[in-house]
Amino acid sequence: MGEPGFVAKTLLLTRKDLRIEMRARDTLVPMLAFTFAVTLLLAFTLPTTGDNERAIAGASATTVADVLAGFFWITILFAGLVGFARTFETEQAEGAIDSLLLVPLDRSGLFLAKALANLTFIVIVEAFLLPLFVLLFTLDAGPGLVPLVLVILLVDVGFVAVGTLFASVAAQTSSRELILPVLALPALIPVFIAGVDLTSDLIAGGSFGTLVEAGWFGVLIAFDVILGITAALVFEFVLE
Amino acid sequence: MAAQPSTSRSSRNLRVLGVAAWGLLGLSLIFIFFVAREADDYPGGGPLQRIFYFHVPSAWVAYLAFAVVFISSIAYLRTAERRWDLLAHGSAEIGVLFTSLVLITGPIWARPAWGTWWQWDARLTSTLILWLTYLGYLFLRSLTRDPARSGRLAAVVGIVGFLDVPIVHFSVRWWRTLHPSGPTPADPTNSSGLGAGELLAFFTALIAFTLLFAWFLAMRVRIGRLADEVDRLEIDAGRASRVLTTEATEVPVAGT
Repeated sequence: MGEPGFVAKTLLLTRKDLRIEMRARDTLVPMLAFTFAVTLLLAFTLPTTGDNERAIAGASATTVADVLAGFFWITILFAGLVGFARTFETEQAEGAIDSLLLVPLDRSGLFLAKALANLTFIVIVEAFLLPLFVLLFTLDAGPGLVPLVLVILLVDVGFVAVGTLFASVAAQTSSRELILPVLALPALIPVFIAGVDLTSDLIAGGSFGTLVEAGWFGVLIAFDVILGITAALVFEFVLE
Repeated sequence: MAAQPSTSRSSRNLRVLGVAAWGLLGLSLIFIFFVAREADDYPGGGPLQRIFYFHVPSAWVAYLAFAVVFISSIAYLRTAERRWDLLAHGSAEIGVLFTSLVLITGPIWARPAWGTWWQWDARLTSTLILWLTYLGYLFLRSLTRDPARSGRLAAVVGIVGFLDVPIVHFSVRWWRTLHPSGPTPADPTNSSGLGAGELLAFFTALIAFTLLFAWFLAMRVRIGRLADEVDRLEIDAGRASRVLTTEATEVPVAGT
């Protein structure tokens, strides 16, 4: 009975990764810095309105919503890939990968642990980016805020599943920073199309009802379930 | 698949397959240009419509090739047998080639027919993403020298990439589709008004392209086997020469 279960061991490994990050701060800080810089650059690309607000001059509310939703998810996508590329960095640099593989835990548990750590990172980045958008682009989600958080979390699940899997594939090759986006970007297109469309609906004043009616919602859940399960299953073949 | 480098029987089979594929392709050209003339007098018919006989069979072969990659990848992860890896690798290369043909012939037709080279339509978008996915797959294969590791990693990407395809398709289906649907291997009765000559030309081209795919694949697997053989011989030769040099240096040592 003393042996901890699957969930306990998985969470233990996630806690280990988060503790390393809290002490070393070499993944989250670059991700946040990247996010901030990209958002500023995006803000400079938009024409200002007369009262010096960074909205789009002369554009309708739906166009603004479309553009902001696209900005938000592209920033998250690249910030995520910057961070996920480091998924097995510490283990490989310090030769700790063998000890990690010796943990008496199914490989899907190891995948889950890494994915949960990456999920934590990306949620923190989003918690930073969303207020930044309110500040810089006067984004107003209003009553759509709760469904917006739901959409963000659903996109995150698919993003993290594919990102973590391909990051561990990339870690096994000679050029990990190069191959990760090449593999992950095409695979992530559906989840991001769905995310951008739903986010733009919600920013433009949609509510929970419109969210459920949109077919995108089904795409998002199908992507999360199919690719989440597949990624957890094939992960054991990546590390050997 | 059945390409043992040393047996003359499989190499004869391969030759028969090649002759059949290219012969049928020649026959389909005759059908396409001299028999399938029903639409010649209609707007959009004639030379423009003939792209269809190359475009659709290419698309069919591309999907077939990626399905072979998917199945071979699963088989490789289960058995770790080299032949599945060779099959997956070869099929991915051919799939990318035919997807490129689809993406080239499509816009050539679309420009006069739709008035635009490209549309963000469900079928076009999913084909483009498919092409990108398997380009990444081939790029990944080029990064790792160790064949076992390269095979494992590529198989993982081959499986995930293929499962992504239907989701991509559904995720872009809400953008209104312009793409015409016609007879497919799954639904040959959906003729969309093709005449008897056109159907003859189309199905001949379809079979010819499929045989061509089989021939390419068999050749590619055979080349892969031969490359493995060369690697093995080089390793053996290297080992032998190392043994010789150590013996040569050891002789005087033993003499003193």
